[in-house]
Amino acid sequence: MLHEYEGKALLKKHGIAVPDGKVVRSPSGISDDPDRGKVMVKAQIYASDRAAKGGIIICKDPEDVKRNLSRLLGSKIGNETVHEILVEEKAEIKKELYLSITYDTDSRLPAIIFSSEGGSGIENRFSEGKQKIVKRNIDPLSGLQPWQAREIAIDSGTDPASINKIADVMLKAYRCFLQEDCRLIEINPLAETPTGFMAIDARIDLDETAGFRHPEVNYQRVAVDRQPTEREISVKKANDADYRGTVKYVELDGDIGFLAAGGGGSITCMDALLLHGAKPANYAEYSGNPSAQKVYELVKAAASKPGLKGLWIVGAVANFTRVDETMKGVIDALKEIKPNYPIVVRRSGPFEKEGLELLKKAAKEHGWRMEIYGKEMPLTRSAEIMVQRIKNIARRGD
Amino acid sequence: MSILIGNKTNVLVQGITGNEGVRATKHMLEYGTKVLAGVTPGKGGQAIEGIPVYNSVKEAIANHPKINTSIVYVPPFAAKDAVMEAIANGIGLVNVITENVPIRDAAEMLACARKEKARVIGPSSIGILSPEKSRLGVIGGEKEIVEAIYKEGPVGVMSKSGGMTNETSWVVRQAGVGQSTVIGIGGDVIIGTNYTDLLGLFERDRQTKAVVMFGELGGTYEDQVADIIKSGDFSKPLIAFIAGKFAEYMPEGMHFGHAGAFIEGSRGSPTEKKKKLREAGAIVVEQHHEIAEKLKEIL
Repeated sequence: MLHEYEGKALLKKHGIAVPDGKVVRSPSGISDDPDRGKVMVKAQIYASDRAAKGGIIICKDPEDVKRNLSRLLGSKIGNETVHEILVEEKAEIKKELYLSITYDTDSRLPAIIFSSEGGSGIENRFSEGKQKIVKRNIDPLSGLQPWQAREIAIDSGTDPASINKIADVMLKAYRCFLQEDCRLIEINPLAETPTGFMAIDARIDLDETAGFRHPEVNYQRVAVDRQPTEREISVKKANDADYRGTVKYVELDGDIGFLAAGGGGSITCMDALLLHGAKPANYAEYSGNPSAQKVYELVKAAASKPGLKGLWIVGAVANFTRVDETMKGVIDALKEIKPNYPIVVRRSGPFEKEGLELLKKAAKEHGWRMEIYGKEMPLTRSAEIMVQRIKNIARRGD
Repeated sequence: MSILIGNKTNVLVQGITGNEGVRATKHMLEYGTKVLAGVTPGKGGQAIEGIPVYNSVKEAIANHPKINTSIVYVPPFAAKDAVMEAIANGIGLVNVITENVPIRDAAEMLACARKEKARVIGPSSIGILSPEKSRLGVIGGEKEIVEAIYKEGPVGVMSKSGGMTNETSWVVRQAGVGQSTVIGIGGDVIIGTNYTDLLGLFERDRQTKAVVMFGELGGTYEDQVADIIKSGDFSKPLIAFIAGKFAEYMPEGMHFGHAGAFIEGSRGSPTEKKKKLREAGAIVVEQHHEIAEKLKEIL
């Protein structure tokens, strides 16, 4: 997801009008301009109900702006910290409309959603059926045609005098959607002003898989609302250093180290931990047959987080990820970390015998408290075993 | 019978000379799949595992007119082109293994497939396997494992996740039964063939007595299954496992696992999907291994 000001820059590039504005990162980042009218101070956070949470403020003079900048910068709104603020002219709004474009999984086509009444709270009014919206799929082979855009405007009950102007915004937005490889463009509100239609807000999500077509765009966005930890940074580096396979690592609040294989397997296993009342200390995933080195970096991060009570190394029966290669990475990392907490392993797939044998040998040699299972142990049942081992230790107090 | 692939499946491998294409060709031949030809533009004249390589799909089909299925192993930027080339040359079933295909490209190639009435499975599919008949891709992996997990039987399996396609089929086998056809549909936002499309085929397949589905958070493909059970268009027993409930406790907008796996508001949450499926009459399990117990009860 892009911040509002980044989204607006893209819209502007494709010819859609946006208010004049500036991004501010410190309270002194804005000049005193007594001639300015009212300005908007808008916290750049991802929450969609930003206005209701106090993230958007109308200021009447430069003093007011400064006061609000100092107050908002560094403050928390919901679970997000405000690092950037967009200060922009307050547009003179005659009417608020709504426009979005996204991929619709029902039709498996791009879809335009338009309403002649926009503004905050629109999601609720949509779902309660209190508001008329027009949704149309677009044939990706022929693209959005001007007549279709006009039809959408007409069907929404727009003032006939605005039909051509609105269709023009839709066509520009669709061009932006395609050319920038967006997953979502949402303009809410799209406002009618004395100078024409203008995007007052913008939520744009980019398709990261199309990154090769946009080498200038930095896709490395922080998925969590905090600075990444050293361990998270080290895994990200390891991931980028080698194209083969993928490793992902995000730290969470719990105390069970989590190391899972595969995208579907890892979310299945996270659920299993939660079902047994356990709290994962992290989300760590390796997929697509990564090298031992890559797995080593991931395990070094996941297994060294302070306060771990156990480590669950788990994976489905792999199709092509080699168990021997990936377990070599696990062993090398654990040798350095020297864990004294219990470890439960469940893994199967190509070269399983070799991989699990290597692990058994290493566990014996280094005195790890490790139990190792292959596919005879059901994947999600091994969660129960992990949780049980930790409980046993807590009871015995060692 | 089985669905999608069987004894009459004759395969073309697009991107056969890449590492993954070579590995897949080896695995398919080992399983007895009829691989007739491969394509890599500019590398025509070579042979991979004894299979001739051509410069274009047209050339391959001219030399091997029995080709009726293609499996795509080209890099992401070339996937749309490869699929459209296969469809333009009359191939009716295209299995796209390539991951990280831009959504825009996927939407375009799938619109093209719809127009030409071709079926696309994927992108990001792990492959398709009809036990003891044919295998597309490396689903099941090495000989020893594929034989331990897959056996001809009455259960259809469909999954967004590659690894969990295998694991789910293994749970089916542990219940003492085999599979009719197993399909990795891919975890992307836009895919060629979703659960509902497959359930339509499984409904008409006499070998299939029940279907197991591995679903995930995100999108609406799981929700659509509830609709076709309710409408009666799918009437056989369906066991569903939906992964990703933990994400409901995480900040909105965070992505885990596959590209299509994210929650927007209440849309795409596993809790909501499970509720809809239960109401429609599907058997929904909370733990993956419970699939085996439920299968034993119904078969």
